[in-house]
Amino acid sequence: MAVAALTVGVFGALILFHAAYSTIQYKSLLKITEDEFTAPPFNVVIELFIGLLLCFWAALTVPGKFLSIHPHSDENRIVSLPANLDFMIFNHRGKVFPLETDLKLKH
Amino acid sequence: MAGHSGSGSSEKKSSNGVNELLTFNAENMQSNMKTIYYSRTFLSIIGGVVAGILGFTGLKGFIFYVLLMAFTSVGLIAKAKFSIHTYFDSWNRVLIDGFLGGLMSFVLFWTFAYDIAHIF
Repeated sequence: MAVAALTVGVFGALILFHAAYSTIQYKSLLKITEDEFTAPPFNVVIELFIGLLLCFWAALTVPGKFLSIHPHSDENRIVSLPANLDFMIFNHRGKVFPLETDLKLKH
Repeated sequence: MAGHSGSGSSEKKSSNGVNELLTFNAENMQSNMKTIYYSRTFLSIIGGVVAGILGFTGLKGFIFYVLLMAFTSVGLIAKAKFSIHTYFDSWNRVLIDGFLGGLMSFVLFWTFAYDIAHIF
């Protein structure tokens, strides 16, 4: 989905470049006829509008989806418990020691 | 029951006032803010190029920028499916944050495109 939106964005940018080139050609034409530049020709305006729309859609889609910030929603469950230092489980030979149930704190 | 982790994947942060949720997932909140920032910056640049090609000068260009940012806000609200509180803690984040942040990029590309299309 991101790649498709990226190509749409690049396509929109290409349309904008083409519109810029058309405007430059139009201005050189105006130099020949010695008219003033008031606005680009109508099809260039349409082209700019389409390019802007495509880039608008791409700008909203490419950066990624919004993530929910509710702490209790289904997609925010804490699933990285084994990576937490408090809860790592090791399998070592300490398990053969007999369990002493009356250990006292020495101080 | 899981204990409170110091560096867990979802850090909670509580705040009051504008926020109606007492705690929320701050990491996702930051990711959403980054998304908005990227969208606005990219659209400021594109808007600058369009304003330069159209030949806007002076106040017209800045009005174009304000309109563009207003449309971006509407687009972002639509992207959040109109339920802002699922993704952000207040309306200000979507509507007002970053509004002026793209202005510099807009003016830069506006002068760029205007020079390329109209002067050279």
